[in-house]
Amino acid sequence: MKAAMALAAALCGTPAVAGWEPAKPVEIVVAAGAGGASDQMARMMQAAIQKNNLMKQPIVVSLKGGASGAEALMYMKSSEGDPNKVLIAYSLIYMLPLSAKIPFNWRELTPVSVVALDQFVLWDNSAGPKTVKEFVAAAKAASAPFKMGGTGSKREDHVLTVFLEQKTGAKFSYLPYKSGGEAATQLVGNHTEANVNNPSENLEVWRAGQVRPLCVFDKERIAYTSKVTETQSWADIPTCKEEGVDVQYLMLRAMFLPGKVTAEQQAFYVDLFHKVTQTAEYKEYMEKQALKPIFLTGKDMVQFLEEDDAQNKSLMTEAGFVAK
Amino acid sequence: MSQTDLEIVVDDPTAPEDDSPSVVSSGTIEIVVCLLLLALAVTLGYDNWRTGASWDSTGPEPGYFPFYLSVILGGGSLYGLIVSLLARRTASGTFVTRAQARRVLAVFVPTLLFCLVMQFLGLYVASFLLISGFMRFVGKIALWKSLLTALLFTAIMFVTFDIAFDVIMPKGPLEAAFGR
Amino acid sequence: MEAFGLLLHGFVVLLTWKTVLLMMVGLVLGIFVGVLPGLGGPNGVAILLPLTFTMDPTSAIVMLSCIYWGALFGGAITSILFNIPGEAWSVATTFDGYPMAQQGRAAEALTAAFTSSFIGSLVAVLLITFLAPMISSFALKFGPPEFFAVYLLTFCSFVGLGREAKHKTVISMSLGLLLAGIGMDTVSGNLRMTFGSPELLRGINFLVAVIGLFGISEILLTMEERLALRGHAASISLRVVLGVWKDLPKYWVTLLRSSFIGCWLGITPGGAIAASFMGYNLAKRFAKDPESFGKGRIEGVFAPETAAHASGTSALLPMLALGIPGSGTAAILLGGLMVWGLNPGPLLFVEHKDFVWGLIASMYLGNVVGLVLVLTTVPIFASILRVPFAAVAPMIVVSCAIGAYAIQNAMFDIWLMLGFGIVGYVFKKIGIPLAPFTLALVLGNRAEDAFRLSMIGSGGDLKVFWSNGLVGSITTLAIVLLFWPVIDGLLRRFGQTQRARTGLQQRLDQ
Repeated sequence: MKAAMALAAALCGTPAVAGWEPAKPVEIVVAAGAGGASDQMARMMQAAIQKNNLMKQPIVVSLKGGASGAEALMYMKSSEGDPNKVLIAYSLIYMLPLSAKIPFNWRELTPVSVVALDQFVLWDNSAGPKTVKEFVAAAKAASAPFKMGGTGSKREDHVLTVFLEQKTGAKFSYLPYKSGGEAATQLVGNHTEANVNNPSENLEVWRAGQVRPLCVFDKERIAYTSKVTETQSWADIPTCKEEGVDVQYLMLRAMFLPGKVTAEQQAFYVDLFHKVTQTAEYKEYMEKQALKPIFLTGKDMVQFLEEDDAQNKSLMTEAGFVAK
Repeated sequence: MSQTDLEIVVDDPTAPEDDSPSVVSSGTIEIVVCLLLLALAVTLGYDNWRTGASWDSTGPEPGYFPFYLSVILGGGSLYGLIVSLLARRTASGTFVTRAQARRVLAVFVPTLLFCLVMQFLGLYVASFLLISGFMRFVGKIALWKSLLTALLFTAIMFVTFDIAFDVIMPKGPLEAAFGR
Repeated sequence: MEAFGLLLHGFVVLLTWKTVLLMMVGLVLGIFVGVLPGLGGPNGVAILLPLTFTMDPTSAIVMLSCIYWGALFGGAITSILFNIPGEAWSVATTFDGYPMAQQGRAAEALTAAFTSSFIGSLVAVLLITFLAPMISSFALKFGPPEFFAVYLLTFCSFVGLGREAKHKTVISMSLGLLLAGIGMDTVSGNLRMTFGSPELLRGINFLVAVIGLFGISEILLTMEERLALRGHAASISLRVVLGVWKDLPKYWVTLLRSSFIGCWLGITPGGAIAASFMGYNLAKRFAKDPESFGKGRIEGVFAPETAAHASGTSALLPMLALGIPGSGTAAILLGGLMVWGLNPGPLLFVEHKDFVWGLIASMYLGNVVGLVLVLTTVPIFASILRVPFAAVAPMIVVSCAIGAYAIQNAMFDIWLMLGFGIVGYVFKKIGIPLAPFTLALVLGNRAEDAFRLSMIGSGGDLKVFWSNGLVGSITTLAIVLLFWPVIDGLLRRFGQTQRARTGLQQRLDQ
């Protein structure tokens, strides 16, 4: 009967008794395909929650990568008042509404917490140029299109490519693939000259010595100093600024509930994901995938989101990716 | 369990099959289908033209392939239309006879109702109603058998999907009353 | 022969009571989820994935891969008995499998399906065992032009095959390609043909369309024809199984060709679907009497099943060696590997030898155990057909609805399924073929993306499709296949004149 009450409370939107918890399996909604960075993160959380018994109900990962992730956004939007769905969001919440005119605004959802920040790295094939300078020179000298691979069109990878063009004066042909994994193998197979994948997406091919990181798009180097390959650690990758190309971009990884859930429900998930960030699984995952650990919630999170949104909007406008 | 008593006859025995009158001829249906496809081709073609259907510096635009496909679809259906119109003068086959149409509707209408009811009562209740109703009224199977089969099948589905595998299905007030 | 030693070691790791038991459990669960329409391979594995979190990696992957084998075996069951393909690559199996079931040869069709699955997977596993390092470098050769060439080959192997009026094939294929294009266009990131509807944003899901086109429309047709599902005449016994096996050598060309196609396409991502269609088409094309396909010919089950399973199995190779999953189910397995801290990639074979060879050994064992398991249960599955139609029909409708809904949790998909049911019914009645339609729905988008990426990469130069030996030969092969009827006609005429001449010569000699 408790469950029925919780459900009734959820439906009416009235505050339930303190200490609300889900009475049904909780869905982690992934706005990307299987095996991508979001999917991996969702599976890590699923495992962390399950192994450490952080919640009574099971967690289900549901992949909604249709229409470049727009499917997940519309799904969350239409699930108003349902406290059993959590979206694992990234920069697409700002970009998709601009580029494809998707009727979606992240302010309609309930923010829970920002759980990590993801880096971007400029990679090339290990047979290619060895430094950023040589790379830019090669791109300028190329007679055939100089191919840059990435995930999706008019999204973070594409924006970064346009900014690289503006800062270096080189011209790239951007090839939008369906996933970061695909972009990685296409680089290894020499079908593209470079990509701007997240560390996690290129980790394995880097360890195998098939690609080379040229620089990281951040103010400072990545903090992790343990060796990833035979000779290098994440911290050994120079920042792009050090190499003379001042482009910076970090991508949020944040959790959202659908709109119109109660404060108790929101509080439960804030607490849950805070506990997740304390687990060994989370810490190990952060280091392995070279993510920046961060935990923002409440006012701090909203302020962060507003600033991040404004920055992404100006980047998109400058790149000419905003649909008329 | 002997089979013979379960073998069911679906049709109405009073309607002899062979001389059941034709409701509509295949030729007419072909014409209708071709017209519908033509309309679809024009709509989609227009939308793709709006999106951009030329070949720019980086290759085809998003509307390029769909636009020409709409043209091909339009051409194909136009050709089909002409062929069926010409063939109309000669005798064309029967699309469905009245007896057939009645049987098809006997399964289509319940399916349609099932989809409708599902929106309000959820999948499981709608399934129970569909299976028991269909078995009883179309299959003329004993009421207790129909109810039992429907209940068992629905229960198995519920246990498998909802309880064991956490697959989320549309649910209605009945499930909510039990707190699921 | 290093591989052989490692494989033996893998068997040693596996042959404990605990793992064999896990294997059986995995297989039974797999068959179960494979048979339930709407669950199928990828969903089934995804749902059961959390069960394995508490196990050690080797046990977990053994169990998961056995669920995978089970689901592969199970998928054929619904295709043959109810004309509802569980996975995209089961579609081609329905073409001849379902007519066989209607003719009361369900047990034969099921046996054929299971046996050819076994053969296909076995060939692929052998390939993985001995050629793993070489194949992963071959898979890397596939860039956008190569992918496009493969899709082109699949389409070309289809055109000009049907007995239906040509304009109907054209209508069917172009309609499929158009519907496949609805939604977000990956290459430009723009929406198209959605008319502002949030429901159309997702695009038309292939499986929803197929459930309607095949499952629902079949119910309507069966009802119209007043057939109760005609399964009761099937004699199900060891005799049927042995009978099918006895005939196997007759079809060695088909089996070999399909295994080859399967292995080849399996290591290129997304190839399993293309493989099943291509396996079927080529079997039909090179048959003496292509007209008998689609009417319940056993070769029509052998060909796509062998190819699909060869590719389903070899799809695991790029997943392990490169981290690119070749199929939906492989993608979920990939997620599983990551949870256990095993990162698929070139180093997996070096750093986690135990695990990799344990997995490969489990492929052998799982396949053998699986075959025995499904064959002994054929009678149970085939007996479903003895249940009266008035009871089965609504159950199939319910299963179809569950299947259509479970894919994306969207009520809209239920209506879409119903709509496609009507389309399927009308199209079948006026002779518009459904096979080109489904093929186009599945591969249309991928082919278009590959083509456009090639164009961006080459700066709009079509010569890119002949830019190296690999892509050039696939493209040329595709074009040869497209014009095969013409070429075949010429060759035959040439052969006849030759034969006539030698005949004359012989007579003169006498």
